[in-house]
Parts: sequence; C-alpha cells; structure tokens
Amino acid sequence: MPDHIVPVLTAGIGERNLRDIAVYRADGGYEQLRRAFLELTPKEVADICSGSNLRGRGGAGFPTGRKWSFLPNNGRPRYMVCNCDEAEPGTFKDHMLLEETPHQIIEGILLGAYAIGCDHAFIYIRGEFKRGYEIMRDALEQARAAGFVGDNVFGSGKNLAFTIHRGAGAYICGEETGLLNSLEGRRGEPRLKPPFPAVKGLYGEPTVVNNVETLAYLPYIMRNGAEWFAKCGPERSPGYKVVSISGHVVKPGNYEVAMGTTMRQLIWDCAGGLRPGRSFRGVQPGGGSSACLFEEHLDVPYDFDSVTKAGSMLGSGAMVVFDDTTDFVKAAYTLIRFFSHESCGQCTPCREGAHWIQRTLERLLAGGGLDSDVDVIKSAAHQLTGLNLCALGDSIEPFLASVITRYEDQFRAYVPRAAVAS
Amino acid sequence: MSIGIDSDAAGGVHPGPDPGEERATWSPYVQRAGEPFDALYSQLQPQIERLVAEYEQKRSALIPLAQLFQDHEGYISADAIALIAYVVGETAASVESTISFYTLLYRRPVGKYMLQFCRNLPCMLNGADEIMAYARRRLGIGHLETSDDGLFSYEEVECLAACDRAPCAQVNLEFVYDLTPERVDALFASLRDGSSPIAPLPQTRKPGRSWKVEQDTGHKSPGAMGVSSPNNAGGIGDTSGRAIFDLIVGRPQYEQRSDERLLRETTLRVEPSENGH
Repeated sequence: MPDHIVPVLTAGIGERNLRDIAVYRADGGYEQLRRAFLELTPKEVADICSGSNLRGRGGAGFPTGRKWSFLPNNGRPRYMVCNCDEAEPGTFKDHMLLEETPHQIIEGILLGAYAIGCDHAFIYIRGEFKRGYEIMRDALEQARAAGFVGDNVFGSGKNLAFTIHRGAGAYICGEETGLLNSLEGRRGEPRLKPPFPAVKGLYGEPTVVNNVETLAYLPYIMRNGAEWFAKCGPERSPGYKVVSISGHVVKPGNYEVAMGTTMRQLIWDCAGGLRPGRSFRGVQPGGGSSACLFEEHLDVPYDFDSVTKAGSMLGSGAMVVFDDTTDFVKAAYTLIRFFSHESCGQCTPCREGAHWIQRTLERLLAGGGLDSDVDVIKSAAHQLTGLNLCALGDSIEPFLASVITRYEDQFRAYVPRAAVAS
Repeated sequence: MSIGIDSDAAGGVHPGPDPGEERATWSPYVQRAGEPFDALYSQLQPQIERLVAEYEQKRSALIPLAQLFQDHEGYISADAIALIAYVVGETAASVESTISFYTLLYRRPVGKYMLQFCRNLPCMLNGADEIMAYARRRLGIGHLETSDDGLFSYEEVECLAACDRAPCAQVNLEFVYDLTPERVDALFASLRDGSSPIAPLPQTRKPGRSWKVEQDTGHKSPGAMGVSSPNNAGGIGDTSGRAIFDLIVGRPQYEQRSDERLLRETTLRVEPSENGH
C-alpha cells in the first residue's frame, strides 16, 4: 500500500463485514454516539466539529461547523438531511461507503442531528443505488434494534427519527435545495437562495444538508479529537479525503489520503499511473464540473484552496485522468450532453445554452462544423455562466473552456477544410 | 368507506380527504371510492400507510409511493397516479408533473429487463461507446426502445457512480461491471434463459416501442414537454421544430444582421397601413 494512503473511513473495507453492527461496534462504533448523548451537550459536539475545520466533502467545501451555526434559534423543528445523491461524473466514493460501511454513515448522521438539536434525520439515497439502499435499510434496522435510533436513544429521553428516502433518477437532486424539493415530493428543481436551507429548508424549517463523507468523518473526529483532524494537511482545508480516481489509469478506485497529497502522488503512487506507453494529457480534479488541469499542475497539493488557486476546483474529490488517446472534443461533448440532459429546465441560460452547445458540438463531431463553431461554443459557455439559480449551469463552462484553450487544434481539426475561412 | 388514510396517523399537515366528504370538494381529479384504484389500494394498504407515516408532510411520500406502485405493476399506471393523488392530497396533474421529472419512474410499461448503460465520461474513456453500439446491435433496438418480445428495454444513462469498473451498466438497478463484448453476450444470454440472479420486473401490460411519455406528445405543442427549444419542440425525435427553425432562418431577410433587421422591421411596423390604422 502506498505511503500516502491513510485508511480512516475506508479502514477494514474488504477485510471485515462492516455492514454487521457487531463488527462495527467491535471497532469502537457507536461509542461516540453514546458519549455524545450521555456526556456531551449538543454545543460541545458542534464545537468539536468546528474545531476540526472539517469542510464539506460534497463539492462546495463549506466549513461544516459554520454551516450548522447558521441555524436560527427560533424554536422551530430542525432537520438533518444527509446527501447521498452522488451522481457527479467520476465520483463513486459515497457509493462505496454506502455499500461497505453503512453504520459509520448512520452514526455520523445521528451525531450531526444531535449537534444541531434535530429530532428527525433523513438520508437521501440516489435511486440507482438499489443495493446501497437495501444495505442501509438493513443497517438501520440493526441500529434501531440496538436502541441507537428511535425513541429514548440510550435512555437519554431524546427521540430521533430516521428516514431513508430514495431518489428516482435526477442529478440535480444532489443540489441541496433541489434535494429538499425532491424530499418534499416535488420536482427536484433548485430553489432561489437566499433563504438558505439553514433558515428555510425542508418543510420551510431550518435544515442542514451534509454529504455522506462529511458526516461519516464525525465519529472519527469525536474519537480522535478535533486536533487530530485539524493538524493533518493544510491549515485551511485539513483532514482526510476519499479520492475517486478513474479514467485512463491502471488501478482506478477510491483512495483515502491526507489533504495536501499532490495530484502526481495520487495518480502515480495510488492509482498506478497511466497505461504503459501512454503520456499524460490532463486531469479533472473535481468531477465533471471542474476545469481540466495539465502537466504543469501535477505537483499542486490536493486540497480545496490549492486546487482552486490552480484554476479548477476540488469539488467532490473525483479525478478523471486523460492520456494521449483522449479525443477532447468527444470528452467535452459527453460532459455537455450530460449537463444538457440533467438541466432541470428552470433557468433559460442553462436549459437552452447546454442544449445548443451540445448541438453545435454534435455538428462538429459529425463533420458539418463551421469555422466559427469553436468560438461560438466558447462564448456561449462563457455567457451562460453566473445567470442560473444553481451551480449546474455554471458547471458547463470550466471543462469546455479549459480544454478548448489547451487543445484548440483538436477542435479545429474537426472543422471540414471547406468550411475554414481562407 | 373502503379507502382513506387516517390523517392523524399520517401526521398530516395537509388536511387531506375527509372520508365522509364528497371528494369533489378537495380535488376534482380524484376518483370516488369503488373506482379502479381501489384494487391497488387494498393490495398495498399497509405499505402505503407506512410510507405516509414516515414523513411530517404527506406529499413527501409521493416518490416512494410511485416506486412502490412501479415495483408492483412494472410501471406507474393511471390508477396509481390517481391513488397517489388521493393519498397525498394533491391533484393528479401535480402528481403527474412530479413523476415526469424523474427518469427512473416509468409512466408506460417497460421490458422485463431494463438495461441502462452508462455513457458518461469515465465509461466513455474506457470504451463505452463501442460497448453500447455492440449491445444495441445484439438487441436490435436503440436508445429508449423496448424489444418486440417485451423482454428488454434499453437506455443510455448518465454516470452510475461505478467509474472504477468502467464501462458499467445496470440491469433492473443491479450493477454489472467491466463490460466487454463477451460479457455483454453472456449477460444477455443469462437474462434470456433465466439463469441470471437478476429478477425480472413485473409486467402487467405489454410494453410499446418506448416508455417515454414525450414520444406520445411529439405532435403536441412545444410546451407539452415542459422544456421547449426550436430543434426539439415536442420531445426526443420530434423534428417539426427544426423544420420551422430552418424555414425562419432560411428566409433571405434573416441573413441580415439582427440589428439591421430590427431597424427595418420596426420601421415597417410604424408605417401606417393602407386603411389608415
């Protein structure tokens, strides 16, 4: 195992059956939940989380403790929603955690729910994860039978309801307000923000939406102390991260590393590098929505701020690696088709923009492109950015713009010679 | 009355239907007791009530209920829509609108095996295009189509979150990984002869060529699909919008720059017509 890999969430996967509550408890599972309910106040739990500087692992990287602190003290019911609607192209960490280690997710959700003082927690599982849903349902039954969920948890007198909600196939439901609409039984269209979910979320009440991986770290932060997490990696985005590496690498998979490991170490030391005889052409560091980075960025530390500084984003922590066999026009088309398909249709720039960029790329790939097409695509993608309710529309430009800038010749090569202005 | 949800038991925030009341007073779309969805309701009553009781507001149970009925009948029938509307206290139109948003909810019957091949980037980099072309050729059907024998429905879908084992696909939401032409052949063979552990979907009605409602609405107005665009007016496969678009941009005056055109057309518009108006 390469030195960079530090199994925290992924410890024991493939060795022990962590779906069994007895195995998880033998590893110290649910001990922190007991400690929280019986020994700590909600504020103490929230303070531990804030002290760890844990930042959201779902994409935006917002500090979790601060997100919780936005909840107003208005005496209204509160909700904790765990976002397991993982569908970002290239991301498959939550899928693995859900199927392999459901109990640490449940414990994390319950710890978060206790910290914010809510009595009904939800997990929204992507519709395609049928097996994951069944595993989570069985795990929840075990936890319920052990008295960790439901009425009078640990005899503390507190009640904590827990609902597993299955989605039904829509990428946009991974956006937190889209998710809440979907959870309310509506079309998963994102809402206008503000008000943010922390003020007006599920059923109009204060709600926290956190990613699976974010919440799953809570039991370990509680166990090892906030310092343990905060001291690891860069100060402003510390801790560990499960990185999904896919594309043109020898050993694609999930690798858990300390924040700040470089991308070169991740691709070559963890994922085994490129296939023999191939050379590196680019990497998307944060899933389909992130801009492509190139050779000169390989030594960038993999953490929120450094990747942003390099001109992309860490996103959900999914690296898609491209070697010299990649047709970047086809790659761009594939992603734009995805955004066009998944656009909910509320905002005209996103709905029409993605659609027309897709059509233009389609024409280019079919050999009927015009000389002006490359510029049209670039300017259309730029113009629709920033005009949408949610981040989906703004995710169209980064990859497209970065690969057109770098590999414009590949795009130009698709324009038939007859159409090139002399 | 044979059907009705106890609104207290459901923790309902919505007032919901009063069993003694004429239904028309709370929703004009929902049918009366004794009408078709009674059968569905009586078969699944315990599950329905359990799902509704999970949430503070009944409407949250809408998608879980749709999934329940789909698992039962293989698709979401008109009866199921009416029953969901009745249970959650919304109009059938509202239920229909919500269901049409989600790609895993089928409003038309589908094949016994729903094949969903991932077409997104990590799979594409690993040869998904070739695998999908191979699968289509072997099945003799295309994207969003059902085979004539009603056994297979084929769809190309977005990222399934199994990129480490690309190219991947799902059959009735069960994953199949690391696809090669040989594995695709073996998969189809095992599904055909029933030796696969993947259970078939229930099929209460014979499926048509496609399960997408948009296919039916192709001849309707552009708004019928919810999303309009000139090239895709009535949904997938509809080219009427394209023809209109070509007609418009093909006219000589549209070859002028738009600001010149605007100037000219505005001038035309402000000129008095012959009869002085």
